Amino acid sequence: MTRSEQGRHRESHDPHWIEWLTGLVSALLIAGMLGWIGWEAFTREATPPDLSIVVLATEKTGAGYRVTFDIANSATTTAAAVTVLGRLTEGEKIVEENHVIFDYVAAESKSTGALLFANDPAGRRVEIRAAGYTDP
Amino acid sequence: MTRAEGDKDEFNRFVTGLGRGVAGALFLALPMLMTMEMWYLGFYMARERLFLLLLLNIPLLILLAHRIGFEKTFSWREATRDAAIAYGIGILTSLVVLTALGLLRGGMPASELVGKVALQSVPASIGAMLGRSQLGHSEDDADTRETSYPGELLLMAAGALFLSLNIAPTDEMMVLAYKMTIWHALVVSLLSIALMHGFVYAVSFIGGHELSPQTPWWHAFVRFTLPGYVVALAISVLALWIFERLDDSSPVEIMLSVIVLGFPAALGAAAARLIL
Repeated sequence: MTRSEQGRHRESHDPHWIEWLTGLVSALLIAGMLGWIGWEAFTREATPPDLSIVVLATEKTGAGYRVTFDIANSATTTAAAVTVLGRLTEGEKIVEENHVIFDYVAAESKSTGALLFANDPAGRRVEIRAAGYTDP
Repeated sequence: MTRAEGDKDEFNRFVTGLGRGVAGALFLALPMLMTMEMWYLGFYMARERLFLLLLLNIPLLILLAHRIGFEKTFSWREATRDAAIAYGIGILTSLVVLTALGLLRGGMPASELVGKVALQSVPASIGAMLGRSQLGHSEDDADTRETSYPGELLLMAAGALFLSLNIAPTDEMMVLAYKMTIWHALVVSLLSIALMHGFVYAVSFIGGHELSPQTPWWHAFVRFTLPGYVVALAISVLALWIFERLDDSSPVEIMLSVIVLGFPAALGAAAARLIL
């Protein structure tokens, strides 16, 4: 309990036990968090972004086709301005080429996005790959 | 004084309170009203999360009203009335300012218009509520009042939420978390705790807290500062989740962004203990 008088507040000297319990639980939580982070700080090595892409689905939209995909970054640093190239090929011939830019793909995280094609990807080869990134 | 004069006086005081509310809403919510990410969130954020935020704002405003209010409130019924007025002022102020800035236009779908105003109404209503305590001269400062322990923690949560709302939607928040190493996060975390304790106890602000001479310093540290920091971190998690900043991130990345946002949230929590 806190007593406020003339704008000053004074903490009571004989608090209820619940205040100590809350304080103790909080101290444990904070110690746990700092401990975990400290452990990560010592054990985790900084590796440059490592991007991989998994195509999820191909759907027909009103004006063409949509290929949705997951982009995962398995490394411990974040990649910014990640450019993803999508290419539709038939034999040696490139039918269509598109790209999309992700603002960020966070470390050890994934993002989802989609490429839109005018031509039907069915029966053709869809190649989606990350083409580059910047350090944030 | 006749009864009619008394009513007129009461009416004038009420209108002054409304004016201060609008001023508070403008002062404290203008940074958010002029933040690009907040406009975008208005139309793309998940509606159930926006709904949750709008609902959470109601008990928060009632609590603040009970504590400060437009009028000196005695009962929870009056506090509820004041909270409704503050929410109303928040919605109207957001509507007027967003329209004046050309962010609301006729051709936009209703969900976008409502979403933008609803999101901004949360900080604006808190601003409206604080308007009185910040801008008005309080005549009743000299009285003695007691804040229960949960009440003290809730006040800290209110302060933390207000500052989190300012910062959580911005992209800078995420960029910071991406640029920082874990060592930086450790330092920020310890700094937050130290500043939180220092602001409330060591630096002698008006409204600062003091301990009885026979109480050792770590009593308050364990009973108030550490729980306060946990409250600030919890509010950071909530704010990041509401603004969809946590999806698909790894635990370490989440922890980093929570600690980054926990810094302003902890200062907000400390400020709430000083001001309210």
